[in-house]
Amino acid sequence: MRSTIGKSLLLGGALSLTALSAQAEAFKWASTTDPQTMDPHAVNSAPVLSFLNNIYEGLVRRGRDMSIEPSLATSWEPLGGENGWRFNLRQGVTFQDGSAFTAEDVMFSYERASNEAADVRSWFAPVTQVRVVDEFTIDFVTSAPNPLFPSSIANFMILDKDWATSNDAALPARDAENFATLNVNGTGPFTVATRDPGVKTVLAPHAGWWDEAAHNVTEATFTPIGNAATGLAALLSGEIDFIQPIPLQDVAQVESRDGFKVLEGEETRVIMFGFGHEHDKLLYSSDVTDVNPFTDPRVRLAAAHAIDMASIDRVLFRGKIEAASQLVPAGISGYSEANSDRPEFDPAKAKALLAEAGYPDGFSFGLKCTNDRYINDEALCRAAASMFAAVGLKAELSTGPVRDYWPQLREDDFDMYLLGWSPGTFDMEHPIRFLMHSQDDERKLGSWNFGNYSNARVDELLPMIQQEIDPEARQALVDEVVSITQDEVAYIPLYTQPLIWAAKDNIDLTQRADNFFMLRWVTVN
Amino acid sequence: MAYFIAKRLVQSVFVMLAVAFLAFSLFRFVGDPITQMTGVETSVADQERLREELGLNDSFALQFARFTGDMLKGDFGFSYRTRQPVAEMIATRIPATLELGVVALLISLFVGIPAGVYTALRPRGFATQAILMATLVGVSIPTFVIGIMLIFFFGVQLGWLPTFGRGGTVKLGGWETSFLTVDGWRALILPAFTLGVYQLTLTMRLVRAEMMEVMRSDYIRFATARGVPMRRLYFRHALANTMVPVITIIGLQFGGVIAFSIVTESVFQWPGMGLLFLESIRFVDIPVMGVYLVVIAFFFVVVNLIVDLLYVAIDPRLRIRDVS
Repeated sequence: MRSTIGKSLLLGGALSLTALSAQAEAFKWASTTDPQTMDPHAVNSAPVLSFLNNIYEGLVRRGRDMSIEPSLATSWEPLGGENGWRFNLRQGVTFQDGSAFTAEDVMFSYERASNEAADVRSWFAPVTQVRVVDEFTIDFVTSAPNPLFPSSIANFMILDKDWATSNDAALPARDAENFATLNVNGTGPFTVATRDPGVKTVLAPHAGWWDEAAHNVTEATFTPIGNAATGLAALLSGEIDFIQPIPLQDVAQVESRDGFKVLEGEETRVIMFGFGHEHDKLLYSSDVTDVNPFTDPRVRLAAAHAIDMASIDRVLFRGKIEAASQLVPAGISGYSEANSDRPEFDPAKAKALLAEAGYPDGFSFGLKCTNDRYINDEALCRAAASMFAAVGLKAELSTGPVRDYWPQLREDDFDMYLLGWSPGTFDMEHPIRFLMHSQDDERKLGSWNFGNYSNARVDELLPMIQQEIDPEARQALVDEVVSITQDEVAYIPLYTQPLIWAAKDNIDLTQRADNFFMLRWVTVN
Repeated sequence: MAYFIAKRLVQSVFVMLAVAFLAFSLFRFVGDPITQMTGVETSVADQERLREELGLNDSFALQFARFTGDMLKGDFGFSYRTRQPVAEMIATRIPATLELGVVALLISLFVGIPAGVYTALRPRGFATQAILMATLVGVSIPTFVIGIMLIFFFGVQLGWLPTFGRGGTVKLGGWETSFLTVDGWRALILPAFTLGVYQLTLTMRLVRAEMMEVMRSDYIRFATARGVPMRRLYFRHALANTMVPVITIIGLQFGGVIAFSIVTESVFQWPGMGLLFLESIRFVDIPVMGVYLVVIAFFFVVVNLIVDLLYVAIDPRLRIRDVS
């Protein structure tokens, strides 16, 4: 990390010297998915947010190590006398069309992003009121103390009010396109020069960017390449400089060639198995059809002890994964150090637990998995199924594409299922809210808790965690949740998904744990 | 003749309706568009509201009626994925697919027909055996494997040709063409060959079989005895008589080439309709999938119509019957 920063500083110096010769550093990159839209509030998906973070900016932003740092706000502090935050905005910032950035633009963007037509409105659920104090000060009032709020809006991108309203893009387009679907006007380091959706998007640096550019890119071309082999060929033939991601099985091929490098890291996504806690019987069992053995924590623990993570790591992931003990990886805020042990691989113990629970010969059940969502997801489930079988848990595996996977899970059509979760706020509170709190559509909690794991104490702890300002007291509350959910084996956390990118040797870039690719850290040497 | 064409075009409307109906009844099994359109943090209530807004809760009959009604009015709707007008999305992708398909067809004809004639005239020659073997291997390997092999050999190892995309294109009105730049042609070679290789083999084998049949017929012997020059004999008398079945098959195949260039387009990231369709499946983009399938049905109808017209042009006997 330090060397990258050092190099980019050096390069920054070198650049200013060579600026006269106007060396063009064109940069080309590819990824599997084209951002569906250029509208930062229309779709809350990683390809869109990642791409648009190069063009638009939020009040705060994430640094190379995911830490929150000032962006369009220079500082922020809790409001006195009421719940919420005051943001002091940066002065002298201009949008790419030259107009000035003020608190009115933040206010407008808030109204736009929290509108029913916006897919990102859930970020503003705690907000009750937004007030423009003066041209460069804005208050976000929340219903309860909300220490996480500033970091939860790192992807809330600010649009220019005049630009959006005068181009009929005051609201995100829901079922038709509008001006902001194809055009941009942000404050960020890059702007869109040309866009051909699904084919090619060319970005150009924003000359009036407020921050000092650490990159030396004069033109950046993005091409979506859906087919992994084609993407690899494009990199190896030199037509592109960088690609994210590459399949695990291609790592060796890239490493074996001169002039290319593989960038490996840990994504923040934890892969896990979930159970139908609420189901009163198994749906896919050929022998136990009257009850659901997984309602017994001993059976769930037995399943956890049956998993041999070391073999999965070695055989399927070439030693590139980190076993997980909880639903966020180490390093994420709220990670529970006190509960960092995971159930060890112990088939004998698994069998004993099953016998104790009344299933000495095991039973059969259905295991649902995706086959196109996570790295090696189908292979993982096959391996897990054979490990389960070794202790008597006969998993009937069914795999399918993710496009009809979530509806199946929502309809409770599973006995056990695979899920990967990346904490959108990079805090443990996120998976507690979405995966551990009981399902509560009214209050928008537990919306991805498909099996409806429910524990009254966890439900009680979530609002306390959300509102606790003191870090130590907060960690104690989080530790309690993690401890409860581990004791009850609410999920079987498996591992943190690896992040594998590939680039030419002459490219310096930063691989951030949220799998976002930021052009502002790219240097072409 | 005009009546014949008009009748066919009217029929095509029914074909398209039938295709739309079949496609629509399958869409329910493709997946849920809403979970593809929204982020993980979107609440269940917001998802339901969107589902209601898009009319996805309506009955199948109502959704189908709305789709066909809008299509008849010329309103092709908006993509769920990109929110762009579907008509525009498909229109901008048609040139890429058509140019690829036409070049693939030309490769298959200009290589396939001479090779077919040659292998028919010298059935036991060494070159014939080599050609037959090579093309057999060519059809036996799946298209995407051929594509990947070509990419790695010509694109990565030798570095002669680009590995993906259309290269340089020039806009002529609304038509984006690869034909006017060197880069465009270079990018076209590998995908066109990949797409055309099956067609090429088929054409060659068909021409060869027909040629061998014709060469045994009486009129060829008489012509040989009369001393008709060999060249004229082969190409004017023999080859012309093999063309009716060849055109039938090639015509039908060409519809397929256009319609199912999906695999080739995916391997070469060729921005045509097939690639668009593939992306649409991934995102359960029902409006795009629906319109694509209807457009493809229309292509099939038109290609078949052209094939029928070509018969008349090639075979004088059909013309006489038509007049009588």
